[in-house]
Amino acid sequence: MRAVAAGLVVLLATVTACSTPEPPRSAGGSPEKSACARPAGPPGDETPTTIDVIEQAYFCILGNSFSGAKLDAGTLLAAGFTALTRELNRAGRDDPAAVMPPLTGDRTADWAAFETVYRKVAGPDEALAVATLQAMVASLGDNHARWSPGQERPPGYYDGDGYGLGLQANARGTEALPPLFVTEVPGGAARKAGVRPGDIIESVNGSAPFVDGEPTPAIAALYPQYPEARPVEVGLRREDRRWTVTLEPGLYQRDLPSLQVVQSRLLADDIAYVRVRGFAPDAANRVFRAVSRLRTGRTLTGIVLDLRGNGGGSPVEATRLVSAFAHGKATAYMCNADDNCEAATTDDTVELLGLPLVVLVDRGCASACEHFSSAVKDLRLGTLVGTRTAGMISGPAQPFLLRNNTILSFPTRHHLGPNREVIDRIGVPPDQYVPPTPEDAAAGRDPALARALTLLDG
Amino acid sequence: MMRRLLALLLVVTACSAPPPPRSAVTPSPPSPATLAAPTGDHPVGTTVLHLTDTSRPDPWNLDAKARELKVTLWYPGEPGAGARAAYMSPKESELVLRGSRAEGVPPDMLSRTVVYATETAPAPGRFPLVVLSPGFTKPVSTLTSLAEDLASRGYVVAGIDHTYESYATTLSDGRVTECLACDSDTDPGFGTGVVQNRAADVSFVLDELLSRRKEIDRTRIAMVGQSIGGASALATMAADRRVRAGVNLDGTTYARIPRDFARPFMFVGTPEHASGGRDNSWDRDWKLLTGGKRWLVVKGADHQSFTDLPQLLGALGMKPLLGTPSAARLAEITRTYVAAFLDEHLKSRPQPLLKEASPSFPEIEFCPDACGA
Repeated sequence: MRAVAAGLVVLLATVTACSTPEPPRSAGGSPEKSACARPAGPPGDETPTTIDVIEQAYFCILGNSFSGAKLDAGTLLAAGFTALTRELNRAGRDDPAAVMPPLTGDRTADWAAFETVYRKVAGPDEALAVATLQAMVASLGDNHARWSPGQERPPGYYDGDGYGLGLQANARGTEALPPLFVTEVPGGAARKAGVRPGDIIESVNGSAPFVDGEPTPAIAALYPQYPEARPVEVGLRREDRRWTVTLEPGLYQRDLPSLQVVQSRLLADDIAYVRVRGFAPDAANRVFRAVSRLRTGRTLTGIVLDLRGNGGGSPVEATRLVSAFAHGKATAYMCNADDNCEAATTDDTVELLGLPLVVLVDRGCASACEHFSSAVKDLRLGTLVGTRTAGMISGPAQPFLLRNNTILSFPTRHHLGPNREVIDRIGVPPDQYVPPTPEDAAAGRDPALARALTLLDG
Repeated sequence: MMRRLLALLLVVTACSAPPPPRSAVTPSPPSPATLAAPTGDHPVGTTVLHLTDTSRPDPWNLDAKARELKVTLWYPGEPGAGARAAYMSPKESELVLRGSRAEGVPPDMLSRTVVYATETAPAPGRFPLVVLSPGFTKPVSTLTSLAEDLASRGYVVAGIDHTYESYATTLSDGRVTECLACDSDTDPGFGTGVVQNRAADVSFVLDELLSRRKEIDRTRIAMVGQSIGGASALATMAADRRVRAGVNLDGTTYARIPRDFARPFMFVGTPEHASGGRDNSWDRDWKLLTGGKRWLVVKGADHQSFTDLPQLLGALGMKPLLGTPSAARLAEITRTYVAAFLDEHLKSRPQPLLKEASPSFPEIEFCPDACGA
């Protein structure tokens, strides 16, 4: 789950960074210290994380996060202090002075008390500072909150490369249903070892992916992220054959056309199939152009939007795409902590497509993808086919620049669906449940797409 | 409007490695630019060729079964007067300015830019060839100052407009195409795809030129490009052995370099492309280049410093950023070092300028050993 979140937030951050940033908002906190501006361009060279950076992040979160005004600052400080003492202990240098200071509820005074103890026991140690701030951000429990210092591309990386074992399975984390099986082998060690879609994954590093039907952390080990480079042992079964492969994480080349964010083709002579891998800037217009091209010289009877694996992106693009199917509607609400909400309404300058719609969704459909899917469902604009979406849509992440040139991002408003219902952590259920199976994956069949064609035919 | 233009000009790079913003607005009404005069001995001639590669479909326009390209040749010309060539057409100017969100500038302003090349015939003799490839969204006209200078120094220059990768390209039938590729420029693998495609464009153009143009010495070919055009120079060399040397003007690179790649290559960049910077693509490639390689950083330069843009700023109502070398100086630096590298490797004339930092060019630092950060 964390891996998905990471990838997705990167995408979100990119999208917001390259579109028009909202002006910074200020509220609560200490105005001068919560001054964490929106990045005006790519940040300069990163410098070490210090207690001053943690301080800036603390006031930045309190001053700008959608729940900031109501957030218990003590929870942030306690999470940071917990991580600090854990790291001290691990390094064998626990300190008698490492005692959480008593808090008063005054955010500024509590910070000062925290900082005094911190400086005494941690000094300038950067690893401790990083662990402390990471824990504070994690304590928000927000799938769109992120702070990742020291991120480097793997040496030898080329644009379009993937990193990891070179396989995708039907689950990434705790949402998994047994059996775990390979859905895609885009390259890398998995392809070299002859792993194929449909292969059942019986073990990961010797551990079962499910115990009593409950998914285990073994599943996440299938998705190492740079710089993780330890080989992963995967136990596989294909029909009656059982074997184990040792896969080394690394960079691998991917097929460039398959990476295009919008791909389209004609199905069954009169149905437009458009796959949207992410809500990149201009994604909606690209869909409209693809459909208009497929429409030239023929009458279309329907459109399939394949949003499986769509990790999100720009809420503006999601709204524009909804706008091709309905006008004058709210597609979502963006709300502050007091539930003062602003509607994300359809862009009625977008031409209506006037075509029956089926949307393919799965657990990889997250964030802006769920914004779109929930609008289609609530506004009855089409049929959702597949499995429940990811439930990772706390709110659109906004980037803030910290003084050491790292980016801290989190939502300044939280997301609700068109009926003002919570989608975050819950996801959007499909209207027609068509789960993937290992048999279909092995045979290269796509039952969800087949169902979509049946629906549009009927 | 200036600010918007600014924004526009920077948009392309904004999502990669953007230069710092330029400053404010000039009050006087802008007038067309006159490019710096070429410095070599030859008069400069120019002509446009329209070439169609029927062996492959267009990579951007799914309805085009062939790849149509516009190639502008600049060459050492016969002396004698003739009408000066156009920088670009009024329609192209309008589309480039609009793509760059430069409302407020007269739409034909760029087409009124004064150049030196005329339609004079090629001078007798054979000359080495330099392929020129522009930055993303830019027509190759934006490298005219460099092209004319190289032609005056005895090179045939073939500038390619990569159709649908520019705000404006006029095809043989007069249609003016726009930037279809701009739709997908944030896709993963986009840069890798563009340079592969440009390498195919260049190989096709070489096939055509070498069989048609007698003034080209087919054994002496180099490629120079700005931004993704510079990245395409490396990609082209990786794919086509006919290209003997290359220069990349501030382009993040995308192509995998084959083992034992020993042909000479030069990187020229802004301080953001100094070794150890945020974009590690040059560090990555540097280790893989085994020939006569150079890595120069120009202090005070920005991403567009190696194009005509600094010379066009006045016409666009913009002022250069404080601390940037003047437009004339930037043209001198770009022309001098590119010509030095080409003279050394295509004309076998060793160049002291490429050996070490020169007191005449204190802006230039030699990476990775003695530069920046």
